[in-house]
Amino acid sequence: MSEGLFRISPGFEEVMPAEYKELVADGPCGREVGVSDLGAFKELIEEHPLCAGCSAALALRLILASLPKPEDTVIVGSTGCSSLAFTQVAVHNIHSLFGNQNAVAAGLKRALRLRFPDKVKDVVVIAGDGATVDIGLDMVMQSWFRREHITTIMLDNEVYANTGGQESGMSLRGMVLHMAPLGKRFPKVALPEIAREAGCAYVAAISPAQPKRLGRVVRRAILVAREVGPTYVQIFCPCPTNFKFRPDESLQKIKQRQKEGAFQVREYVSPEAQAFLAELEGADHEE
Amino acid sequence: MYAAAKIELEKCIGCKLCILSCPEPNVLLYLPETKQVSVNQQRCKGCGLCVVICPKDALSVSSI
Repeated sequence: MSEGLFRISPGFEEVMPAEYKELVADGPCGREVGVSDLGAFKELIEEHPLCAGCSAALALRLILASLPKPEDTVIVGSTGCSSLAFTQVAVHNIHSLFGNQNAVAAGLKRALRLRFPDKVKDVVVIAGDGATVDIGLDMVMQSWFRREHITTIMLDNEVYANTGGQESGMSLRGMVLHMAPLGKRFPKVALPEIAREAGCAYVAAISPAQPKRLGRVVRRAILVAREVGPTYVQIFCPCPTNFKFRPDESLQKIKQRQKEGAFQVREYVSPEAQAFLAELEGADHEE
Repeated sequence: MYAAAKIELEKCIGCKLCILSCPEPNVLLYLPETKQVSVNQQRCKGCGLCVVICPKDALSVSSI
């Protein structure tokens, strides 16, 4: 179960869907590909039902392109917009109950370690802001306290987008939404800072407006989670459907927020993770 | 009515910015032979993010 993840059994060549054949012939498994190679290989995500101009879809596409070893990765998803896309993703994935994603991932990582002691298996949680900061905060924090070796990625669209626009913990103070007509009364939760204090070895807040940096951040987070400890990546991806802007303005909105200072790209690296990354990236440069 | 992106190949310089801004997978493909980008209109949702980011105005969204 590594490079041969996508294989067609003899006799089935003609009946397999065209997308699967493309994945076998030109997929990223067993090749060293990254975000900058996008467009030159068959991606691990197929046509998904997310809205036109959805920056969470763009973030998901970039995350999947930057997985260091997609054939040995298991993604744990949770309810939300992102879960609608996971049926089109060609990486092992589990849909957990709403909010349970980090508990499921922690158990899975331990089980995989026992089952495959001589192999590295990455467990990556990809969930929305509702699952991470509101409903599943307990499980998320406990997994960090226990120093589980998993990567938690939050797609932060600042709203419960697929249920009609309720306010989430990540919405900004005063934000008026379809189901929050009076505006939100308390500020956005500073989860990157909480994660740093809760014991994450590597924490980053990033957006798909910087695709190459996003790829680098995700790769670093997964590699640090293998060796050092829990990691957390928060990806800001505003929702054109709920915030009522044109689909082609998604990336401009991110840049505008960055200019206003309401969203900052930031990275916290613990000393152990710093030493590990310096060794790893130094070795890459020598090659 | 369906909308999709269209590319004017004489303007494309192959910078790949559009590929990195598209939320849809496998729509914009990079052709290494010509060092240019091609659009798979069947898979495009016509959001226009590639049009906004293209520095050479090589892309446009129109109905198909």
